[in-house]
Amino acid sequence: MTPSLIVPAANQLLSRIPPQELAVFMMESEPVTLTFGDVLVEPGAVIEKVYFPIDSFISLIVGLDDGDTLEVTMAGREGMMGASLLLGVQESPLRALVQGGGAALCIEAARFQSLLLTCPVLHKRLLRYLYVLMNQIAHTVACTHFHQVEARLARWLLMTQDRAGSDSLQLTHEFLAVMLGVRRAGITQAATALQARGVIRYHRGSITVIDRAGLVEASCGCYAHDCSLYAQVLGAPLDPSS
Amino acid sequence: MSAPQSAPQYDPRNQLLALLPEDELARLQPHLERVALPLGKSLSESGGVMHHVYFPLDAIVSLLCVMENGASTEIAVVGNEGIVGVSLFMGGETTPSRAIVQSAGEAYRLKGQRIKDEFYRAGTMQRLLLRYTQALLTQMAQTAVCNRHHSVDQQLCRWLLLSLDRLPGDQLIMTQELIANMLGVRREGVTESAGKLQRAGLIAYHRGHITVIDRPGLEARVCECYAVVKREYDRLLGPEALL
Repeated sequence: MTPSLIVPAANQLLSRIPPQELAVFMMESEPVTLTFGDVLVEPGAVIEKVYFPIDSFISLIVGLDDGDTLEVTMAGREGMMGASLLLGVQESPLRALVQGGGAALCIEAARFQSLLLTCPVLHKRLLRYLYVLMNQIAHTVACTHFHQVEARLARWLLMTQDRAGSDSLQLTHEFLAVMLGVRRAGITQAATALQARGVIRYHRGSITVIDRAGLVEASCGCYAHDCSLYAQVLGAPLDPSS
Repeated sequence: MSAPQSAPQYDPRNQLLALLPEDELARLQPHLERVALPLGKSLSESGGVMHHVYFPLDAIVSLLCVMENGASTEIAVVGNEGIVGVSLFMGGETTPSRAIVQSAGEAYRLKGQRIKDEFYRAGTMQRLLLRYTQALLTQMAQTAVCNRHHSVDQQLCRWLLLSLDRLPGDQLIMTQELIANMLGVRREGVTESAGKLQRAGLIAYHRGHITVIDRPGLEARVCECYAVVKREYDRLLGPEALL
């Protein structure tokens, strides 16, 4: 079995919390649909709503003045958007871009913050998520620095596949270049190499993962590291079928 | 109870502690243990359990992410504006990064359990630690994008300025090898960049001593990442942050 961060279920941060806390959360939040390409918050702007993705996922991106970018982390149903509020800060340092459209639970920032006071188990769990997030960003610093584009692309595809819950991903080279902070030519080269290995199929803006184990093999150790840390700190993903 | 033997006078140089109201600081003071942090000392290894947190007084600590093959790169730097060991109150049992003393000096050390107790009192300390964590996250994210897109020259300028802000003087004691480890580049890369800065009259480098001669010159050369990080620290932890 390959490591995996996600199993189909509701948001994993909301699992393993007492039913009364979950009930309060559900009362305060509402289901929304996120659309691919929506920007939920710009860097420096006040976070008005917090999102707990269910089958959508969100990229958190740093942008430089000259337009260069880098995705530093991703939030799907294993995570949340708006973690700064846990730290008592209203503004987001990062751009949040919807990368995979779908459902999410949405809660107003002020309500979210008062909710934390009444839901201590959830609050603790979210702080632990913050620990994972921080670690993930730290690893991205090193990964971006040391690892080849091919291995980084493999890591990124695995992270995306987990959150998309699908083997088939709609992604242009241009989009991938923005996420990984490399030129388009670099993406083409890396995608071609992964295709030659027989782990993905690439065709006109659509990437299909055909050999997940092979893709894990082609990725740098950062993917497996992220998965094991998440499991260690927040518990293994719960399997709804069990 | 092990009260430190000699803490005759409180040293107020750590800015995070300085933001605490008097009563919270007074409660903490008997437990603050003043320790010397020599250059190169490891305060935590990645995956290790951290028993103490550190509030630097004039030391600078570098947080490094270590890869499986042993290669490392700096993800953030902590000086007297901060604290080493934030993962403790987030509930992580182990530290995600290696913490190495990058510039020798002193720090106050506090037992891990003590800071957790303080954190769960939900007073100013909690707010400070959380806001500080946010600043640290910003620094990490910015370092990632800087590593990706900016030249070694610019990264070296950023690194020198970040270090300088955390030091009382304008001199850093640092080998090029250590800088290379911090920036995750080869020594030759650092030598070349440092040579350029020296020829431009911005720094003087002599046997492991770097003296910054022209700070505005460094600021003119540095990438935006320095200002982004500094602004965020000022905003989150400046004197008016908690009003």
